[in-house]
Amino acid sequence: MQILEIEGFDAHCSAKGVTRDVSLFLLQGEPLAVGDFVMVHVGYAIQKMNAQEARSAWEVHDEMLAAEAGGA
Amino acid sequence: MTQTAQEWLEKIRALPLKRRTRIMNVCGGHERSITLAGIRSALPKTIELIAGPGCPVCVCPEEDVYQAIQLSLQRDVILVAFGDMLRVPVNVAKGEIRSLEQAKASGADIRPISSPREAVRIARENPERSVVFFAAGFETTTAPVAAMMLEGIPDNLSVLLSARRTWPAVAMLLDSDTPGFDGLVAPGHVSTIMGPEEWLFVVEKHHIPTAVAGFMPVSLLAAMYSVLRQLFEGERFLDNCYPELVRPGGNQTAQNKISQAMHVTDANWRGIGMISDSGFELNPLFAQHDARVKFPDLDTAGRKRAGQMPPGCECASVVLGKINPNECKIYGRACTPKSPVGPCMVSDEGACRIWWSAGVRTNAAEIQPLEA
Repeated sequence: MQILEIEGFDAHCSAKGVTRDVSLFLLQGEPLAVGDFVMVHVGYAIQKMNAQEARSAWEVHDEMLAAEAGGA
Repeated sequence: MTQTAQEWLEKIRALPLKRRTRIMNVCGGHERSITLAGIRSALPKTIELIAGPGCPVCVCPEEDVYQAIQLSLQRDVILVAFGDMLRVPVNVAKGEIRSLEQAKASGADIRPISSPREAVRIARENPERSVVFFAAGFETTTAPVAAMMLEGIPDNLSVLLSARRTWPAVAMLLDSDTPGFDGLVAPGHVSTIMGPEEWLFVVEKHHIPTAVAGFMPVSLLAAMYSVLRQLFEGERFLDNCYPELVRPGGNQTAQNKISQAMHVTDANWRGIGMISDSGFELNPLFAQHDARVKFPDLDTAGRKRAGQMPPGCECASVVLGKINPNECKIYGRACTPKSPVGPCMVSDEGACRIWWSAGVRTNAAEIQPLEA
């Protein structure tokens, strides 16, 4: 969900047009700002989401092999 | 380079895998995505996807559900629980109240909730009443329950805790003679909280390829590809295919909150038995909020078949991935979501309920093999 407002450990968040009050109690120490996305489970934000896509270490492995082959 | 689900699928299909390979997931959310997206039928026939222990409601001890029912009936309490707990049946004689839903129908004050915050709100709105939160869940739910305890829990709110840890059930399977899988897709949200390192033992001790996955098909397929390629190349490592949320070490704040409110203990899994270090118990600091301490005198002794699955129900084998849901003798026959016999047909995270939701209506015993 995307954070719309923050007040202490409480945030007002929205996703797909639905808004919810969410606790940030489990993300103390994580710098959070309006506009950030958080994963919410049973009313609590459990982690700040970052922009990384699903990927496998094999991709990195293959990219390195390809780079080595290209540089040879 | 970002790959689509289709591209991951093509990479899996391109792997020259000849042998039958079984990949287990241990998360109801994973099983739901796999089943609803039709991933099983899209994969090569040699790959078998197995739903393992990923449903906390399914393994919640029958005694705990019975205790919650008795609390709601014998004491003037408001009992709150996550919604899918309400229809879970216990083993009682015909005609007796066998679920929280039936207790509610007979007048008990039972309220479904979707967040521990609702339990707090209900307690604050009813200061003259005792409110009991029947809290079953894996680590992802346990952390919010711990947060609720530490944020300032109202005096009139207590917790009947049935929290479980995910990895000890997998460890138990791996330590058995028949683990039943060749690769593991590790749970995304449990790893978000506890850190992916909890699953290293699968790779290092048991040499089974493992990859953490999120809940979208693209992440699940990336994890399956990783596991399959590890098998093919003879490599073993713990891959993280859900970097969007899963960070090294997990959510340290959440782990600290859990350990401030609770400690690890041996715990009973319904139909399976005791598993070492697989549960959480409230710390003595919270004894006044522990429903097991607050209501020690409930009459739960002298029950027949306490702790077991209902007759004919093979939920324990389904939970452990020993059989597919529709291989249970009563799947789709005596047991349907309309009149569930076992917890796996009740919970949204139960494999039987998920398969039924995806349209699997036929018991395996009625399916004719295509060829010998």
